[in-house]
Amino acid sequence: MSHQALLGPRYPFEGALVSKKIKDNKLATTLVTGLCRMQLDVTRKLGRRPTPWPLPLPPPPPLGLAGPTPFPLPQDRTGLATGHRVPLAPSFRVLCSLKAPPKARPGNLEQVFQARPLLTQQHVLGDRSLEGKQASEPVLVTALRTWMEKSLAQPRHEVVEETGSPWQSLDTYSYIRYHPMEEIYQWMIQISEKYAGVATQHFLGMTYETRPMYYLKISQPSDNPKKIIWMDCGIHAREWIAPAFCQWFVKEILQNYKDNPRIGRFLRNLDFYVLPVLNIDGYIYTWTTDRLWRKSRSSHNNGTCFGTDLNRNFNVSWCSIGASKNCQDITFCGSGPVSEPETKAVSSFVESKKESIVCFLTMHSYGQLILTPYGYTKNKSSNHEELIQVGQKAANALKKKHGTNYRVGSSADILYATSGSSRDWARDIGIPFSYTFELRDNGTYGFILPAAQIQATCEETMEAVLSVLDDVYERYWNSDSAGKVTPATVVLGLLVSLVSIF
Amino acid sequence: MPPAASTPPAPRPGAPRPAALLLALALSLAGPGLQAAGPGPGSPGVPGVAGVPPPGLLRQAARAALHFLNFRAGSPSGLRVLAAVLRGRAATMRNPPALCFSVPLVISLGGSSVVGIFHQISSQNHVDARRTCRVDLEFTAERYGPEADGRLGRCSARVVFRRQQPRPAVNVTCARFMETSRRRREDLLLYKRAKRLRAPPGATSMPDSHGWIDPSLRPMWDLAFLGSSYVMWERTTQTLHYYMAQLSSVNQWKTNEDAIDFDYTVLLHEFSTQEIIPCRIHLVWYPGKPLKVKYHCQELHTAQEGSGTEGG
Repeated sequence: MSHQALLGPRYPFEGALVSKKIKDNKLATTLVTGLCRMQLDVTRKLGRRPTPWPLPLPPPPPLGLAGPTPFPLPQDRTGLATGHRVPLAPSFRVLCSLKAPPKARPGNLEQVFQARPLLTQQHVLGDRSLEGKQASEPVLVTALRTWMEKSLAQPRHEVVEETGSPWQSLDTYSYIRYHPMEEIYQWMIQISEKYAGVATQHFLGMTYETRPMYYLKISQPSDNPKKIIWMDCGIHAREWIAPAFCQWFVKEILQNYKDNPRIGRFLRNLDFYVLPVLNIDGYIYTWTTDRLWRKSRSSHNNGTCFGTDLNRNFNVSWCSIGASKNCQDITFCGSGPVSEPETKAVSSFVESKKESIVCFLTMHSYGQLILTPYGYTKNKSSNHEELIQVGQKAANALKKKHGTNYRVGSSADILYATSGSSRDWARDIGIPFSYTFELRDNGTYGFILPAAQIQATCEETMEAVLSVLDDVYERYWNSDSAGKVTPATVVLGLLVSLVSIF
Repeated sequence: MPPAASTPPAPRPGAPRPAALLLALALSLAGPGLQAAGPGPGSPGVPGVAGVPPPGLLRQAARAALHFLNFRAGSPSGLRVLAAVLRGRAATMRNPPALCFSVPLVISLGGSSVVGIFHQISSQNHVDARRTCRVDLEFTAERYGPEADGRLGRCSARVVFRRQQPRPAVNVTCARFMETSRRRREDLLLYKRAKRLRAPPGATSMPDSHGWIDPSLRPMWDLAFLGSSYVMWERTTQTLHYYMAQLSSVNQWKTNEDAIDFDYTVLLHEFSTQEIIPCRIHLVWYPGKPLKVKYHCQELHTAQEGSGTEGG
């Protein structure tokens, strides 16, 4: 069998690089960050027996770095049908391009094995209950195995191409170009490095094809409790302008919160949680294979059919209308509510924070619309009037920028019937301000919006979002006082003023 | 004047709300010449109020009218797209006529072809897909493409949608946004540029993934859109509407004879189902002459293949 090197997706890595030199009887360690990917060298013969598990482990970590008891390897995943040609005891390597502080030299293969990667068990199993625990090398093995099974079962056109030099400076990052997922992963790391006090990157879950989902949390440390603004982009793979906007939004907030009082005051009481690409597998697929793909890349019907429409997969009137139970359809709602790992990741996280989340914004294209709940019924939410008012104000602010017309209304009224959408679900678990934005254009270019329009689209959309944030902020906090505006305080205020008149 | 405004709505299953009936009566007493004021640009419609067709239906009609106009005009320099709906009304063509509304139905393609209906739908809004629906409307249109300068032209149209069948009947007039002589000159220029063009290799995506269209290939794109207009007009119904997403391959581009002979595949985006429909189109164009076009669209899973010919 020929020599083949199969490359896995790149994972961000943070670990301790152990220098082989021993200084003062101590092992010298340096903190490094980087991107690692696993490389499987299929140099041995392929046979018809499944690989004897577990794979040979790399050498145990040296003194001082041993973590807690290594987790037991999970059971073999079933699914390797007979006839699958799998490698016998392949050799694997982890290749990392590391960025280390000047005095340390960039790591090579052996040194990486001695480090503790931040790929904790949860990254692999998608089990949030294990969050925070550090794992040792066996975890790398498990991640590798999972990925390997999948890639050997599927035709290989998912090898991630080398996109030239892996590191570019944040200063030269272009917000008016579309970026492949690799670059967005790097961008997130760089953002959290450059704005370390206020922007942090967090793990949300794994996609179907075992890629990590990360969100950025923008938060100014303070004593007072914060409310949360959630924004996600790219739930539909082909809507490229949406992830472009999420990146633009983050950049605008971080570049301006110190000097711009409007944005600065948001950060006093609000935290922003931004998920730049929700449907990562699908997004990558639109770069490598089909620019107009919409769904995720989950496999169904024994690998004969791919993809769930993630915006039909949420647990709200699931698959009742405007969605299909047929996997071949583009609005396939999945095998059950929240059946997809991406939906599950977002769902469980948002649910866990729902008391604090006041605003849920999900960005799509195209159509130039600001949509309020609901899509699954023509009934209106309890705060419908307010949502329309806030939405219309946002559309007006948007139009002032470049003259673009947006229409505002409930999804069922001005778009079409949908069930299982993230916006409807968010509203129904109690998040008061829940909107879908359908960005440019109106059909001239549709999903394939020219990169030349990214800047104008992002600028006008920014005005709209800031307008919504203004209204949300006013509703919960008076401009200057730290007190909450509640009906009680309003009544009290009125009483006080009445009393003072008499 | 169509009698739609002068008769109360036909009786329907379930009790119509008294307020809506009164309103309908009031409208009918207002006499002929009444036009239901449709929603202005940018504002949501108020479906459910008797006498006001929801903006969805009027926009459907406007789009169908413009596709038809673009096709009939046969001028790749004179393509128009919808700017905003000004006003309109809709009525069924039964006797006595009744109000017809468009409720966004989503038709699932595939094994389970289910037509979704809202549960809480009031009897007034219950769409009867079997009826024909005549829409009279006024709207503004603007020029398609990068040369669009923001100038709007007024159009008025009558569009009849038949029983959820495609090929709506269209009668449309639009104010000229360009002098006829200028349009003819631009068509001729486009024709000359097209004649000099060599076809790009087979499967080229126009635009590319980043939305880029080579300016030198613009005539090809405009002609592709012209041919697609015919297809999109034919396929537009009360609930389905289309946009041209991408030119996915050029099968033949012949310019050696007088006319431009263009055989290509285009990906149409059907908005309410979100599906992408590949259509193979073959057109023959000569400036000033009616467009000849044939097409065949691939239906993704159910049997509903579609094809058509116009102009032989």
